[in-house]
Amino acid sequence: MSNLDFEFSQQPDFSLLTVRLQPGQQIFAEPSAMAAMETTIAMRAGLKGGWKKALGRMLGGESLVMNTFTAGDVPGEVMFAPGPPGDMMNYRLKSNSLYLQRGAFLAHAPGVELSGKWGGAKGFFSGQGLVLLKATGSGEIFFNSYGAILEIDVTDEYIVDTGYIVAFEDTLNYKVTALKGLRPAKTIKNFLFGGEGLVCRFSGQGKVWVQTRYVVPLLSWVFPFRPTKKSD
Amino acid sequence: MKIEILARPAASVAKLTLSENETITCEVGAMIAMTPGLDVETTSGKKGGGGGMLKGLKRMFAGENFFLNHFTATEPDQTLLLGPTMLGDITRHKLTGGTLIVQGSSWLASDAGIEIDATWQGLGKALFSGESMFWVKCSGAGNVLLSSFGAIYTVDVTEDYVVDTGHIVAFEDTLQFKIAKAGASLIGSFLGGEGLVCRFSGQGKLYCQSHNPPSFGAMLGPKLKAR
Repeated sequence: MSNLDFEFSQQPDFSLLTVRLQPGQQIFAEPSAMAAMETTIAMRAGLKGGWKKALGRMLGGESLVMNTFTAGDVPGEVMFAPGPPGDMMNYRLKSNSLYLQRGAFLAHAPGVELSGKWGGAKGFFSGQGLVLLKATGSGEIFFNSYGAILEIDVTDEYIVDTGYIVAFEDTLNYKVTALKGLRPAKTIKNFLFGGEGLVCRFSGQGKVWVQTRYVVPLLSWVFPFRPTKKSD
Repeated sequence: MKIEILARPAASVAKLTLSENETITCEVGAMIAMTPGLDVETTSGKKGGGGGMLKGLKRMFAGENFFLNHFTATEPDQTLLLGPTMLGDITRHKLTGGTLIVQGSSWLASDAGIEIDATWQGLGKALFSGESMFWVKCSGAGNVLLSSFGAIYTVDVTEDYVVDTGHIVAFEDTLQFKIAKAGASLIGSFLGGEGLVCRFSGQGKLYCQSHNPPSFGAMLGPKLKAR
């Protein structure tokens, strides 16, 4: 596993990832994540790992296609930026696993494998439930958020609204559940956009990363500004 | 209660550390994460049922969420992360007996010493500017957490001051206010895109936000499918 030379800039609000690839070195990224690159880098789109694995990634909310960036005979730089304004993190896998929330994956180095994992029917149908990507292997993985990312060291038990989970270590146990006494915001709009005020209860020891904003409430907020249909 | 504001200024969250039996009341949906020793209660008004149905209904018509979340620590040292919907900052205002009028979507949370009333109609006339706003009246002694769309800035009003209604976060009620047209003529005001403004006078603190949520909504809305 060769070391990856990378740097984050503009954190936490408008984070950008710059990777300096050595000749022949590769990085794999979510389609449309590439913002700019030097011409010495070759980009190839494809179904990395065959269609079965690609399907797993799709279930995890990521695209079927994974783009591969390879440096040619000379070193080169490639920059990645995610869709939403927000933060970025890297995590170095050492033969362990990391779970990523739907849409949080940005890029990974060789040696990392991604597969879809589904947090159960309840989570799935609620719309904001846990549809997770599981990253295994050894190497660097990059993920992004909407808003800033806060790292929480869970030592006993911790509760996170499912919509705000970015990633967590697999040493943690998790359970998606309704929180007694907590009524979800804006019931009617939640019905339209999914989400039932579910929380994820973590237990054990490990890290969980949460984002400080969530796009669904923003969508609910924009909803009343939509034009009304003319009845004719 | 310990209050820290993290990830300032664009993606701010409030991290609260509650001692046993301390309570915080917040907007529904504001909870991001918490430790397990917190009891959650959802009511239509004050914790413990006060305020009741009628107030809750009024609040709903005023446009606010019908319900409020109350978090009470059942064990010492419980932490709670709260965040608003929009990108922007959070600020804490300490009330020591006065009254603070908060623009509805800027009210994030307040502690048990604060009485909140969302039925305050003093700025009801703002509706005429096409911006469906509601206002929350906070009184008592304690902390109020305010959120803003964009940056938040404070103005110590000593004379007259004019703010577009969409940019108001909160103001002390020692200020008098008047809804006025921005320009010399009403038509000119609307053509200028300013609509109606709030003209403050007197002495007091005024919190403003750098961005105007209704303008942002009006920009996004037409690009979306009709409902």
